Amino acid sequence: MDVKITKLFFILTSMLLCVSCFDGTDFEQANDVVVTPEIELDLIYFNLDASNFYDNATNTEVLVVEDTTDLDFLGGSDINDILKGADFFFKFTNSISREFNVTFDFLSQDNVSKYIMQTNVASGSENNPVVSYFVESLDELQIKELTKAKKVLVTIAISSSSQDLTGVLTLQSKTTYYLQIEQ
Amino acid sequence: MKKFLFIYLFLGVSFVVCQNKQLLYNWEVTPQTLMLNPGSLITNQFHIGVPLASQFHLHVGSSGVSVFDIFADDGVDINTKITNTISRLSSRDFFTINQQLDVLNFGWLSKGFEPMYFSGGIYQELDAIAYFPKDIAVLAWEGNRDYIGKAYDFNDISARADLLTVFHFGVNKQVSKKLTAGLRFKLYSSLINVSSTRNKGAFRTTLREGSANIYEHTVTDLDVEVQTSGFISLDGLEQSQVSKKLLGRALLGGNLGIGIDAGITYQLDDQLSLTASLLDLGAIFHTKDTELYKAKGDYILDGIELIFPELENGESTIPYYDNLEDDIAREIPFDTLNTGYTQLRPTKINAALHYDFGRFVGDKGGCNCKNNGAKKKRVSQAGAHYYSIFRPRGLQMAGTLYYTRRFGNTLSIKTTYTLDHYSAKNIGAGMFLNIGGVNLFLAADNLLQMSNLAKANSVSLQIGLNYILN
Repeated sequence: MDVKITKLFFILTSMLLCVSCFDGTDFEQANDVVVTPEIELDLIYFNLDASNFYDNATNTEVLVVEDTTDLDFLGGSDINDILKGADFFFKFTNSISREFNVTFDFLSQDNVSKYIMQTNVASGSENNPVVSYFVESLDELQIKELTKAKKVLVTIAISSSSQDLTGVLTLQSKTTYYLQIEQ
Repeated sequence: MKKFLFIYLFLGVSFVVCQNKQLLYNWEVTPQTLMLNPGSLITNQFHIGVPLASQFHLHVGSSGVSVFDIFADDGVDINTKITNTISRLSSRDFFTINQQLDVLNFGWLSKGFEPMYFSGGIYQELDAIAYFPKDIAVLAWEGNRDYIGKAYDFNDISARADLLTVFHFGVNKQVSKKLTAGLRFKLYSSLINVSSTRNKGAFRTTLREGSANIYEHTVTDLDVEVQTSGFISLDGLEQSQVSKKLLGRALLGGNLGIGIDAGITYQLDDQLSLTASLLDLGAIFHTKDTELYKAKGDYILDGIELIFPELENGESTIPYYDNLEDDIAREIPFDTLNTGYTQLRPTKINAALHYDFGRFVGDKGGCNCKNNGAKKKRVSQAGAHYYSIFRPRGLQMAGTLYYTRRFGNTLSIKTTYTLDHYSAKNIGAGMFLNIGGVNLFLAADNLLQMSNLAKANSVSLQIGLNYILN
C-alpha cells in the first residue's frame, strides 16, 4: 500500500512539474520595446515695452535689443541620445505699431552658432494687438545640432523707433520634445 | 527507490522552485505549520528540518497583469500591449515577491510537569511589494503632451523591499482539552531595506489664459521620501566583500528588530475546530547604515523670463537659468539624511474553521497520548481559511476553501480553492509524503494555469524535507 502511494506521489508531482511551462510567449519582444514620450515644456517669455527701443538719455533709436539665457538641459549627452525631434512654438502679441524681426540663435558654450530660427512679427496697435505665430519643427539631424548648444541669444530688431512709440511686444513659447528610449 | 528520490529532488528543487505555489496553513502534517500558527495542534515528539531544505517558499505575483499580457506571441506590437496594460492597470495594482528559506528548523516535545512543544530555528526572507505607479508610468511612457491639465499624483509611488534573517523560538501548549495556544518570539536582522510608501503631491501642466507663458507647470504639496538601510556601506565593495558583509548582517550584525507570532486552536466539538494566528507583529529599528532622501515643497514653473537689461560693455547677462535652478532648489529642497527610522513588519492574520470527518486514521486506540489527549485524526478535513496581510496601502485579503485527505500515515493530499487579488479561479494542491519519519512536502496553486504559467497572475510553491518523530 505504502509503495503504491509513494509511486502515486512521485507520478502526480512529476506530472505537475512537467506540464508547467511558459507557452505561446516570445521574450525576444523585449528588444522591441521603445518608449516614446512627448513632453510639452515652456521655454522663454518676455514682455518688452516700446520704450526699450528708444534711449531717452541720448535721444537715439535702439534698433536692436538682445538677451541671452543658458538652456543647460539642451546640451546634455543624455538628452542628445534620446531626442528624436522637437517642435518650437512661439506666440507673439504685438501692440507696437512696428514690425519686428526676431532671431533665436542657439549657441555653444564658446558662442558658436549651432542653429538659428528667425521670424517676422507683424505690427499692431494698442487698441488692436496682433498675434503672430511661428513654429519650427526640427527633425533628428537638426535637433542633434541644436542640442550641441548651451544657450540661446534672442535678438529683436525694429525697423525704426521714436520717443512716442507705445505698446508692448510679448512672447510666449513652448517646445514639444519627442523622445525615443530604446535598448 | 533512493536513486529515484534523489533524481526527483534534484529536478524538483532546481526546476520547480520558480513555478509553483503552496499553502501550508492548518496542514498539521508539516512542522512548518507551526510557523503559520504557533498554536497548531502538534502530534510530534520531535522534528528537525534538513538544514537549508526544510522549507523553501517562493511566491511571485502581479494583481493586474500576467507575463502573457505583455509577451504573448500574437503578432501585436509589444509597445501597443504595454500601452494597453498601463491604461488598464490602476495604482491599486501591485507586484510582489516573497521568498523564504529555512536555514534551520527544529522542535521537540518537553514531557515535564506541563508538556509543551518547543520549536525554533532561523530563516531568511526576501519580501518586496511595489504598487503600480500609474500616473508616473503614464508620464514616463507617453509624456504630458496628451494629458494637459492632468495631475500626476506622487502618491502613486509606493514600494518596499526587505531582505532579512529571522531567529525564532516558540512554545506550543495544549492549555485545555479544547484549547491549544502558542507563542513565538522573533529577532529580526535586516540585511537591506528600501522603502518609499508615504509620498504625496502632484505635478500638473495646465493651459491657462492670462498666465505668463503658454503653460504653467506646477508641483503642488510635494512630500516624497525614500528610506534605505544597508546600502551605503556596500557602495564600491567587491562582490566577495559584499557577500561577507551581508553574511555578517544575517548573523545578527544587521539592523535588529523584534516581533512575535501568536496563535490558537480551539476545538468546538469532536469534529469542528477554529484556528487563528497573528504573525510578525513587530518592527525593525534601522539605526545603522541608513540614508534617507527627501524632497518637499511647491513650485510653479512657467519658463524663463527675459528682461533685456541694458548692459555696459563687458557686463555679463543675467544668469536666468542658474537663478531658475536656485529657485527650484530653494522651493523644493532635496535633502539626504542619515537618521534612523523604524519600520513595522508586514503583519499577517490567519483564521480558519475546519471540520474533520470520515473514519479514523493514524495512531492506535482512541487516544493520542503523545498529544495529551488529542483525538485521533480522521481521513478527511474540510475548512475555510481567511488570510490577510498589512501592506502599505492597507489590508490585502484572501479566502480559501480547502479539503485534506489522509491516506494512512504515509500520504496526505490537500486541495484548495483561493480567491484573492490575483485570481478568482485559483485551484491548488499539496502532497505530503512520509517515509519512515522522513517527510517531503510539495504544493502548488494555480493548477488551472499550470499548463501555461505565462497566463498566471501569480505563481508560488512550497517544498520541504524534514524528519519527524511521532
